[in-house]
Amino acid sequence: MTPEQKLAALFAAEAPPRRDYAFQIAVAERIAKRRAWLTVAALLPWLVVSGIVLWALHPVLERMSGELAPMIQPVAFVLGGAVVAAGVGLWLTSALQRSVTVAATPK
Amino acid sequence: MQGAPTDAELVRRALAGSDAAFSRLVERHQAAVRAFVRRFLGSGWAEADDVAQDAFVAAWSSLRTLKDPAGVRSWLCGIAWRKAQDRVRGARRGAARDSGWLETIEVPAGVSPEEKLALQAAMAELPTDVRACVALCLGDGWSHGEASETLGLPLGTVKSHVARGRARLLKALGGSDDA
Repeated sequence: MTPEQKLAALFAAEAPPRRDYAFQIAVAERIAKRRAWLTVAALLPWLVVSGIVLWALHPVLERMSGELAPMIQPVAFVLGGAVVAAGVGLWLTSALQRSVTVAATPK
Repeated sequence: MQGAPTDAELVRRALAGSDAAFSRLVERHQAAVRAFVRRFLGSGWAEADDVAQDAFVAAWSSLRTLKDPAGVRSWLCGIAWRKAQDRVRGARRGAARDSGWLETIEVPAGVSPEEKLALQAAMAELPTDVRACVALCLGDGWSHGEASETLGLPLGTVKSHVARGRARLLKALGGSDDA
């Protein structure tokens, strides 16, 4: 083989397959994760605004707390649980993805 | 029966929120992007594919900045090139991983493992601009104009880079210096 032919053969050997579903799935997973983080990030300003509003309304709420406590407590519990579950879910997703990627990477 | 949608049509649908359309773009262009990154980085394919995936995610994030939807392949390879350059600058490729990869080296018929190593070494010694031009034009058959557009380099520079890079690679494979 001439050096030209060797060069062409070596470059051709590095060409990936025309279709690779594993690669497409990996890209889709990364995009889904990015979208999840973007969603969480988009919610953060609203969380801050809600905190400020609650802080501003604190004196009023305190006066009403006696009457509203039975209704607010379960709602606050559910919302708090949802936030914690979303955070843990995202963390677990990224941790599991890392471990699966490491296990699947050819040695 | 309708034919396959064009890149421009897929970009339009992806911008409207279609994940399926973006997935078709990935399917259509993954081979070109991955081949380019593999040749540019010259290391294990897993690292090159990781960079290529990063490039597609970055493309998804910045799809609105694509000026010419018909030129999506060049645009994707341009993003991949910047990602690959970042990876090279990061110099995260350790000697341990390289030696592990060398043990599993596979070569096409008619080429020895030593020649493949010589080519890898010669590619690694090329300046990044030259390497990128060689990877696109010699590796994947892109025209000088396409490579110029993708890499953001003047046409004349691309031509001289390809000629210089080709001469060095052929020399590494046993050719003459002025090949």
